[in-house]
Amino acid sequence: MSDGAPLLAARDLEVAFGRGPDGFRLRVDELELRAGQALAVLGPNGAGKSTLLRTLAGLLPPGPRGAVRSPGRDVALVFQRPVLLAGNVAYNAELPLWARGVPRAERRRRARVALEEFGIGALARRSAQTLSGGEGRRLALARAFVTEPDVLLLDEPFDDLDDPGREALSLDLRRAIDERGIAVAMVTHDLRQALLLADRIAVLRAGRLVQVGARDEVLRSPADPGVARLVGMTNLLAAEVTQADGGRLRLRLANGRVLSAAGRAAPGAPVWVGVRPENVRLEPARGDLASSDERAEVVRLVSDGVVATAWLAWDGVELRTHLVAGRGLGQALKPGAPVAISIRAEDVHVMPRGQNASEK
Amino acid sequence: MRDATRVAVLALLVAGCGAGEEPAAAAIDVATTTSTRDSGLFDELLPAFRGATGIEVRLVVVGSGAALRMGADGDVDVLVTHAPEGELELVRAGKLVDRRPFMENHFVLVGPGDDPAGIRDLPASAAFARLAERNVHYASRADDSGTHRREQALLREVGLDPEAGWPAVLRTGAGMGQTLQVAGERRAYALTDIGTFERFRTRVDLEALSPPDASLRNLYSVLRPNPDRYPPDHLDVEGALALADFLLSPATQARIAAFGKNPSGRPLFAPLFAPGSEP
Amino acid sequence: MSPLVWVGVAEVALRTLAVSASALLLALALGLPLGFLLGRHRFPGRGLLAAVANAGMGLPPVVVGLVVYLVLRRGGPLGSLELLLTPPGMVIAQVLIALPLVVGITLAAVGALPPDWHLQARALGLRGPRALWVLAREIRLGLLAAVIVALGGIISEVGAVQMVGGNLEGQTRMLTTGILMYTQMGRFEDALALAAVLMGMTFVLAGTLTAIQQARRA
Repeated sequence: MSDGAPLLAARDLEVAFGRGPDGFRLRVDELELRAGQALAVLGPNGAGKSTLLRTLAGLLPPGPRGAVRSPGRDVALVFQRPVLLAGNVAYNAELPLWARGVPRAERRRRARVALEEFGIGALARRSAQTLSGGEGRRLALARAFVTEPDVLLLDEPFDDLDDPGREALSLDLRRAIDERGIAVAMVTHDLRQALLLADRIAVLRAGRLVQVGARDEVLRSPADPGVARLVGMTNLLAAEVTQADGGRLRLRLANGRVLSAAGRAAPGAPVWVGVRPENVRLEPARGDLASSDERAEVVRLVSDGVVATAWLAWDGVELRTHLVAGRGLGQALKPGAPVAISIRAEDVHVMPRGQNASEK
Repeated sequence: MRDATRVAVLALLVAGCGAGEEPAAAAIDVATTTSTRDSGLFDELLPAFRGATGIEVRLVVVGSGAALRMGADGDVDVLVTHAPEGELELVRAGKLVDRRPFMENHFVLVGPGDDPAGIRDLPASAAFARLAERNVHYASRADDSGTHRREQALLREVGLDPEAGWPAVLRTGAGMGQTLQVAGERRAYALTDIGTFERFRTRVDLEALSPPDASLRNLYSVLRPNPDRYPPDHLDVEGALALADFLLSPATQARIAAFGKNPSGRPLFAPLFAPGSEP
Repeated sequence: MSPLVWVGVAEVALRTLAVSASALLLALALGLPLGFLLGRHRFPGRGLLAAVANAGMGLPPVVVGLVVYLVLRRGGPLGSLELLLTPPGMVIAQVLIALPLVVGITLAAVGALPPDWHLQARALGLRGPRALWVLAREIRLGLLAAVIVALGGIISEVGAVQMVGGNLEGQTRMLTTGILMYTQMGRFEDALALAAVLMGMTFVLAGTLTAIQQARRA
């Protein structure tokens, strides 16, 4: 199992999806799913994510010039709303094996293993129609795993699962990826799980792949503000290049404040500046900073008990930052409190700014 | 209070209904046979009856057997049938009274024009004997109607079992019109009253093959249930008598004589009492 | 009643069963694939066909009888087949009555599945006969309903079989047409005997099918 070998390759996909005036066309020039890797497909609602998975699974025609190749590989797709067939849990789990003509004894054994793996072995004789949402999701996943597919396509696999369930699924997937070298592509709106699992990220918007790359690279350097928002780079500020010098930029924000950044751009060019919330550093404001560039004020503070999110007013620009809840600043800050902020140049991501509607 | 209102409304309704007609609207139930209805005779006579007496007639159209039974059970006020044997039997049993024959016509044996059994112009009994001998299709109503009873009588006459007939007999259990259609479809022979046949002859590919003879005489009578067997108000005796008198009246007899004359000049029914003479 | 009469009743009952069962099987053989097709696939004319099937569910049997009579009569378009007044002719009329019921109910049952049901079945690797088997299993309550409704529609039908079959004794007499005939003849005992057999038959058949349906649901 040569790590990284493409198990499924798609090119020149052209698939209509959606209906009426809102209908889109999925156009993908090239996409590979590689052994031992997980690809997270991110994108807003209606971007064509499910259509992409269905096309990769060979369920939709890839278009006049398109092709999806996965020679000799077993490809399984778990739908966003999996259909559980009338019958018991074991029947559902065995179905893909029955469809492939696997003998009865073998079917039962493998279905039992898959059900145990997803923690629903005890429900084997229950009617699938009586399962809870989470149990149904596990069954759908077990049913996909039962054929030991080489390529696993998952449409919102974490839906209906509680946190331990999500954790367990992530671990199962990770193990299958690492030990059996399978390729996974998943569509999810759960960014945390996607980031936990994904080796690569593909961003789909209006049927187009806007960006495909290694996870950390996409997180650090999103192609545009839309991608930035999808991957959690929520501080997006309009700015202008005032100085460009050998890969170093000086940027002036709308409020007149100045930031340093790495990157290349022409002086005078309008740009977007993206900063991940965790990269906005805070310190309690000292008196002598009263008029400095770094002074900001806490507007709002929300905590989920683990992570606190603070909204800051920075001289007319709003910034968001994450803190550890209940500790240090995360505990001490109150709305109205003055703080000092600092943003390191390597944490500032610069993106071109034009008139493109998709940017915001 | 509410009851009083209801009574008042009812009274108004009744008054409103009766206002235009004199004498007050009455209705009698008359059981008769399909052949009578299918000939269209009643469509001609009943409006005149209503005009003369103000009595509505509700026709119950069934086979003679059922009509006789309804009469015997007092389910209707009057019956008009053409099954003399059955009628007389019930009169003897005291269930029916006042049997008055009022018109007649003929049954006729019909069949395909090429007459494969060769019965054309044979007397009816001889014709039946030959149909049985050749074992050709024959559509029997088999519904205990007057026509069916006559067919059975004719079979008995030539020594055939009236129930079994012969193997090729088709038993429709239906009215005359439908039986004629079955005969037409199957190229079968059939015994029919002349009235229904005249109505259907343009629609079925059949021809009249037998000459009229006494054995094919078809006598229509009006009868009524024996009123002594029922509570006083159970039957409309007056209405029944009015209909019987009407049917035997010279005017009606003249109407019957004129009814349904086809291009060949043959009337469908012959009144028993020549117009002008007293019944 | 004499044993001979009951022999006659049994003969009529058996013919009724044979004719209705043949019609039912034919209607299912034609109607199930058509219902699957209409429920499963989108193609030009599909809407029209579905509308025809749904409208046909309310088709008055006497109208079917009339049309079949006119088509099969001597001199009619198919008169040369000599099917009028025969059991096969009655089967044709009953199939036409039952077919829209089977198609309509099958179509509704298939249509009630989630829109991506067939895609998901394919994703599970189901193809061809196996996919069809799973689909049938999935909508079996609807299919049973189709059988029950179709059977009920034809076994108790009187107008069309009277017109097309002609109620000929020993040839095309059915329980329903016999009841009608005996009632018109005033032979209520015979009518009741046939009615009792018809009721019994309907009850046993409908009861059996319902029992299957309920057992499957449980």
